[in-house]
Amino acid sequence: MRRNKSLVLILGLALIMVACGGGGATTTTAAGETTTTTAATGETTTTAMTGGELEGVELRIWGGSSGEAEDAALTGLLEVFNAETGANAVFEAQADMTTALNTALAGGEPPDVFYVDSNNLPDLAAAGALAPVPETALSEPDDIYPSLREAFTFDGTWYCPPKDFSTLGLVYDPAALEAAGLEVPTTWEELAVAAEALTTDTQAGLAMGVEYPRWAVFMFQAGADLTNADVSVITLDTPEAREALQFVADQYSAGHFVRPSDVDAGWAGEAFGQGKAAMTIEGNWIVGYLDQTFPDKTWAVAELPAGPAGPGTFAFTVCYGVAESAANPDASWALIEYLTNAQGALAWTTAFNVMPARASVAAEWLADHPELEAFVTGADYAHRWGFAPGFGDVISVFNDQANAIVDGDGTVDELIEETVAAGEDVIG
Amino acid sequence: MQPGVAPAPVEPIKVGGPADPNRRRLKYRGRARLDPKEPFIGWLFSAPALTGLIVFLVIPIIAAVWVSFRDWNGLTPIFDSTPAGWANFQELLLDDGVRRTDFATSLRNNFYYVLGVVPAQTFIAFVIAVVLNQKFLKGKGFFRTAYYFPSITSSIAVTLIFVFLFQTNGAINLVLPIQDIDWLDNPRGLIHNFLGVLGVQDGPAFLTEREFMGLELWDWLAGPSVAMTAFMMLVTWTTSGTLMLIFLAGLQNISPSVEEAAIVDGAGPIQRFFRITIPLMRPTIFFVVTLGLIGTWQVFDQIYAGSGGDPRKTTLTPAYLIYVQAFTNSKAGLAGAIAVILFVIIMIFTLINRRVIRDTGDF
Repeated sequence: MRRNKSLVLILGLALIMVACGGGGATTTTAAGETTTTTAATGETTTTAMTGGELEGVELRIWGGSSGEAEDAALTGLLEVFNAETGANAVFEAQADMTTALNTALAGGEPPDVFYVDSNNLPDLAAAGALAPVPETALSEPDDIYPSLREAFTFDGTWYCPPKDFSTLGLVYDPAALEAAGLEVPTTWEELAVAAEALTTDTQAGLAMGVEYPRWAVFMFQAGADLTNADVSVITLDTPEAREALQFVADQYSAGHFVRPSDVDAGWAGEAFGQGKAAMTIEGNWIVGYLDQTFPDKTWAVAELPAGPAGPGTFAFTVCYGVAESAANPDASWALIEYLTNAQGALAWTTAFNVMPARASVAAEWLADHPELEAFVTGADYAHRWGFAPGFGDVISVFNDQANAIVDGDGTVDELIEETVAAGEDVIG
Repeated sequence: MQPGVAPAPVEPIKVGGPADPNRRRLKYRGRARLDPKEPFIGWLFSAPALTGLIVFLVIPIIAAVWVSFRDWNGLTPIFDSTPAGWANFQELLLDDGVRRTDFATSLRNNFYYVLGVVPAQTFIAFVIAVVLNQKFLKGKGFFRTAYYFPSITSSIAVTLIFVFLFQTNGAINLVLPIQDIDWLDNPRGLIHNFLGVLGVQDGPAFLTEREFMGLELWDWLAGPSVAMTAFMMLVTWTTSGTLMLIFLAGLQNISPSVEEAAIVDGAGPIQRFFRITIPLMRPTIFFVVTLGLIGTWQVFDQIYAGSGGDPRKTTLTPAYLIYVQAFTNSKAGLAGAIAVILFVIIMIFTLINRRVIRDTGDF
């Protein structure tokens, strides 16, 4: 009898372990450690916050983490905020931000402040999960670049202020250009000539990801776009779009442009850093990556070459959002005001290679980063990266067809046809 | 006994009653009279595991089925969603559009994946188990551990390493004596490649012109892509170990006297293998194939960490599509519908499996 009872106990424990083991969950939220090191910015910022207003208030900020540098910079800013207001704001980096945020929102206990990518804004806003910016919460809202404010406006309501932004620029190897006797390209023709001249047996002219967030800049430069301004009509089937896409397709088929995975690189920045391409079209994040991974590589950035209709680029930006069901919205907006007003924007972007979203701060930031001027000037004509809820399927059709073109068994006409059909499915 | 005196009449003893000397042995025959505490203790011991199963398995399954009939975006509390009737299923199965085409693509990819992985892993696991069961093999413990080891590794870590190995300039191409294959970028299906070798480049008209669920019949017959084949190899390597252990347990259940009797009767090793071992292993084979079917139809980790559906959606699977629809497109209702359809597909395959490997009523 004693043996049977212990057997039952062991079996019971085994059953518990099976029940708790589950089928191998793959995504887990990882609450990051908050560092108590001194502020990485090395600056003390004065704010308009009256001390002690938010005494003892706990605030959680959730965001995706791009690396230790960014996390440390944000935590440093929060420590200054905490010291001045008596609050306890904490940054929790999330390993899988989309999943973590969605479940928190659906569960009714969202974090107080969280990152919202401009591409996710339509989904969140249409679901009523975001609270719009209150009238008097933010100082000098007109100082923020209009194209960025627009990126976070859905259905006429402005939902959140941008924390920073990045644009796409032409990153190139100055030594390679000089060796080929070329000037920095400023038009499509010059770009084609440069890409051809720089293509050798071991190096391609230009590495660029085969996806909409890269190919579309050429469409903007030709005066075309995937949708109209309020994303209600698909406008891809135009001669300008055809011209732009055919230009890009021809470059790939001639071998002057190359897809990163074809040269065994994870992304275009890696291909450029490894010397497998002499130029690339990428955003600000490449700067930190090159400094860290390829510190000996010389590079420079220029504005993207203009097309028949002028210049065009993408602005990738993230904002601080507040949930509609937030527990303490006043405290949340107070923290956001601290992080995004003029001093906050400058402090944040000093430590980290993103650009401040406020025009008044641009000159000061440029004084510290003169080599990145091309990225900043892009803000004047940047298009937003964001559409309508559920539009991801249309973008994936575009990407699929673009890859078919680069593989050699697709045409620009097929790409346009399939994308238009998918787009009409999704936005009606 | 005294002669001439009738023996005293004997009261018949009720079987199982208080006077029956065999009472303790007969305790559970017929109407068992248990100590009233025992059922309670049984439930008490099972309660933690049962609670875990109910909370983390039964309730989510019921919730997923319920959500599939609603229009939920996954961003607001679930009870704020509106009922949608059959709309999600209609969008997946009937309405012509990108969502149905994606779903059809994922079903096709996963079907070829199942077709490749389940036989491969079952066969390899069985062969290794038979080899490890030999009496003369030294170092069985070491080999068992070595073959089982891949199963306990993190699937994400293994996927990342395999992606690295399968690069065009990676280790696999270095070792293979043939021309370099671009493993993870090649979207061409194996069947199409094979037909291409035979000279059939584009499909015949009667296949390219007809469509089923938004996908041309010619594309349905594409076979797994080269990239998908890389993932199939990954998974076969990882799961063969677990299945090998199950087969080993089954083989060790075959009493050696059966084998010896067969040897005495003059059966050769091949005859013994096919006439004795395999038929006796039928229940185990059924179990392993069922496990394989269920696992392969739900493949997610490798796709999420490795390719995300690339190249050209040839590694898209229904489980990964559930994730994309629920979290990227905020259409959790559609994701629930995909999950329900996947459940039905797995049930159908398991029932087919049961019919095919059906034994004569032993299990």
